[in-house]
Amino acid sequence: MALPVWQQLRTELHPQGLEIVTVALDLEVDAARSWIERSGADHPQLVDTAHRLDELLGIVNVPTALWVDENGMIVRPPHTAAVERYDFSKLKTPKGLPDDLDAHIRDMLEQVKRIPRFDADHYVEALRDWVEHGAASEYALTPEEVVQGSASRSPEVAEAAAEFELGQHLHHAGHVESARAHFRAAHRLQPENWTYKRNAWELVSPGIQGPSDFYDGDWLSDIKAAGPEHYYAPPDF
Amino acid sequence: MILDRLDMTPDELERRTGWELKPEGLCKDDRCVPLPAGGAADGLVDVTVVAERLGMPLVHDERHDLWALGPEAGDRVLASAELPPIVLADVEGRPFDLSSLRGEKVLIAAWASW
Repeated sequence: MALPVWQQLRTELHPQGLEIVTVALDLEVDAARSWIERSGADHPQLVDTAHRLDELLGIVNVPTALWVDENGMIVRPPHTAAVERYDFSKLKTPKGLPDDLDAHIRDMLEQVKRIPRFDADHYVEALRDWVEHGAASEYALTPEEVVQGSASRSPEVAEAAAEFELGQHLHHAGHVESARAHFRAAHRLQPENWTYKRNAWELVSPGIQGPSDFYDGDWLSDIKAAGPEHYYAPPDF
Repeated sequence: MILDRLDMTPDELERRTGWELKPEGLCKDDRCVPLPAGGAADGLVDVTVVAERLGMPLVHDERHDLWALGPEAGDRVLASAELPPIVLADVEGRPFDLSSLRGEKVLIAAWASW
């Protein structure tokens, strides 16, 4: 979880004029609450239960960041924000699991290990450069580049946003079953959106997001189908 | 946006979508889209017609008689580099307007507990 890393960067760069805002793409505020309360962050920590950021900014996975200048202009559209230094090579399944669950988690870890890792040091250097040099930084893009670098919004992607919005609205109104039909529609319309899928799977299969009677996909099947190398868009820095 | 009926006043339409009803049609920034006859009558605009004209998806939940009107489909999610208006709540439900951070550089970082 990257929250402590964002707080470190905020401590370093806030004196130079950078604010950080973290946004949890969690359907349930309570799922994010303990992480947020434990983070000890000084900066705004928000929760986007309706996934407005997906609709308005084209976010499809986490961690994703965007940079906004002093005038409210985006200078880096949403991109995979690699700030954590991972070592997944030693990942192991917990001991004492039933055989079928053990095999499933083993299989998940094999996929996780094949998800590409990006250069966190380079990303942080780019961020420092922008904070120091602003528009003169080579990492600050022009408005035209920002628009062209944002995600495409096909009719299917637009409809997926509407389906997810209706689904989360019904979910929060207590109509859990009705909500699922709309989450399924969002998954079908925008299969590359992991936030729509993982939030829905997490509700019916917490922790492993495994196969269920409610959704066609699950984390393991879907990442195998997409290819773990495509799980994150490589950041272009 | 969530709707419980398919007509709204021009004021509500403008407040919720940014599209203003003018004699020449629906207008936003420097763009106007003609609205066909019947698209607006008796002080109300027909959301079905608006959705069709602007390329917005309109999805329905029959059981609860609710609709969601989605964003305009088109080329790119960002029509301009300006950060769109975004107000989100913190864990205590207090709203926070991202535009209140004008004057500072801002990094918005999306994460999730799952």
